[in-house]
Amino acid sequence: MSASRLETFLARIYVDDVAREQFLADPRGQAMRAGLRSDEIENLVNIDREGLEMFAHSLQHKKAKKLQRGIEGTWTS
Amino acid sequence: MNSDRFGIGWRPRLAAGILANLDRIEIVEVIADDYFYAARQERRALRTLGAQTPVTLHGVSLGLASSVPVDSRRLEHMARLCGEIEPAFWSEHLAFVRGGGIEIGHLAAPPRCEATIEGALANLAYAKQIVGVAPQVENVATLIDPPGSDRDEAAWLSAIVRNSESSLLLDLHNLHANAVNFHFDASEFLTRIPTERISTIHLAGGKWIGREGSRRLLDDHLHDVPDPVYELLEDVAFRAPQPLTVILERDGKFPSIESLLDQLDRARHAVARGRERLLQREEAA
Repeated sequence: MSASRLETFLARIYVDDVAREQFLADPRGQAMRAGLRSDEIENLVNIDREGLEMFAHSLQHKKAKKLQRGIEGTWTS
Repeated sequence: MNSDRFGIGWRPRLAAGILANLDRIEIVEVIADDYFYAARQERRALRTLGAQTPVTLHGVSLGLASSVPVDSRRLEHMARLCGEIEPAFWSEHLAFVRGGGIEIGHLAAPPRCEATIEGALANLAYAKQIVGVAPQVENVATLIDPPGSDRDEAAWLSAIVRNSESSLLLDLHNLHANAVNFHFDASEFLTRIPTERISTIHLAGGKWIGREGSRRLLDDHLHDVPDPVYELLEDVAFRAPQPLTVILERDGKFPSIESLLDQLDRARHAVARGRERLLQREEAA
């Protein structure tokens, strides 16, 4: 159950700028409020911040490109 | 050893070039999800392509590597398309792509832990049940060291492949990118995974992003295949004697078809070098 909560939490901080900002300001508090296990919380406190920002930025870029091309919903791997 | 085959990912912009060069392209990989809701005419065109050359179907949105059960409707779409196209095989990524109703919009590396291994194994078994055949599973590139992980990628990937019926689609640019971004040796990685289970190889390119001193390699499929990826391909051909299918992926900034065919030829040469080394070792033994 907690594993799926962690996936939901990650999905949110990957795509939601506000959620990511709040998380980076208080990772422990945000992870605790999401009901994650103590080991998951510790792991998130030590998150790869640079990687998180890069990944979030790349997702925004991909979304913008798809919208620009008018092919929202078309995937590439 | 002479059953290796080399192909290209089907993209509309490449269609004419691919169709004009089927004597140099032995298999074509199609993004399955683009056809889940396609009009009958488009699906007929795909069947026509399949009549001319072997086709493989590549999924990108199932999110199999998740503790959450895979969406059965998406699997039914895949099953229907496989039934219509009769691909050589189908494949999907070991990624999670959504959580709690939030669509990430791309492939995300899941936490590398027991829960996602168990989830992936359950999802792969269910996928086989619905589609009729287990998918080949692909390693993904990641810009972020996956949070919630308690083991490295080689251990996590091996656990899934060894305990499932799926063979491995090893993306060598994904491996290369993860190796340079997270400072491990890609060749050593190959010694830790079940190379006898590799069926297919993906080749692609990427670009460096980020500030000087903390750059990371982004797998964007918009650039040519870099040299280290060909070196890894040779290494795989040396370690994995079984027939390999090698697919070149390019999603944009398309060069000429000749340039892509040249990259495919470089892949053929890399595999030939690996096979030659293997032969020499066997003769010396």
